[in-house]
Amino acid sequence: MIEFDEEPPRRQFETLVPLINVVFLLLIFFLLAGTMTPAENVAVSLPEGTLNDREQDVPTTLIVEADGFVWLGERVMDAKLSGAMVEKHLKDTNTKRVAIKADADAPAEAVLQLMEGLREAGVEQVTIMTERGS
Amino acid sequence: MFDEPTRKRGMASLTPLIDVVFLLLIFFMLTTSFLQTQSLSVVTPAPSAADLPKDARVVEIWLNGDGSIAIDGKPIERAALTQGLNAAIGERKDITVTILAERGSRTQALVAAVEAARQSGAKSVGTARVEKIAK
Repeated sequence: MIEFDEEPPRRQFETLVPLINVVFLLLIFFLLAGTMTPAENVAVSLPEGTLNDREQDVPTTLIVEADGFVWLGERVMDAKLSGAMVEKHLKDTNTKRVAIKADADAPAEAVLQLMEGLREAGVEQVTIMTERGS
Repeated sequence: MFDEPTRKRGMASLTPLIDVVFLLLIFFMLTTSFLQTQSLSVVTPAPSAADLPKDARVVEIWLNGDGSIAIDGKPIERAALTQGLNAAIGERKDITVTILAERGSRTQALVAAVEAARQSGAKSVGTARVEKIAK
């Protein structure tokens, strides 16, 4: 019978060091590459677009769901009635800059109704959020 | 006087460190998003479709209720919209592009139409919603 030399059992730490290296690397990757976004209460799939006007830090974000309902923070409303809600909010926060996050499948009618309401509230220009198309 | 505390030999246990690093890793994995959003500035429309100009210098983009798109009545694919609009406008840049959204049309089509109108270099872009496009 041939007898092989048994490897002496390695110390525990040695085997863990590569793992820690990889995990640290992943951690640093996520730290650097990711951007933190505040969580929103509704998830929408944004329409694809090609243009980018690079509007940043728009204070008010309106979300239009696929079924046409409009969210402003915690409140939800039909697009037809949203003008008054937005008008009050804009007066309270004293701003005229509004961004719209509309689902790609949301009725265009609802988005336009919302924009008409915004026009009546004195907002001349809105920012529609899109996703870079493929 | 006092006994010097004997220094511990070797490394302290790595397990709590690994626990914390894993936790941080999972936290960042869940909270970061790699989605690149873009923004598109759009002028808000006047409340009435009747205010829109209706002369020869208007090119209309129809967003039909069934999801199809047409330029001045000619059906066109969404991908070819910019090209088709440029062809419809021709050399005259003093033109107005009107986007008519029929009931049932979707936001994706609206965004595509607005972008095409912007890229065509039209003088002004108007949007309006209509119940039914008169063909």
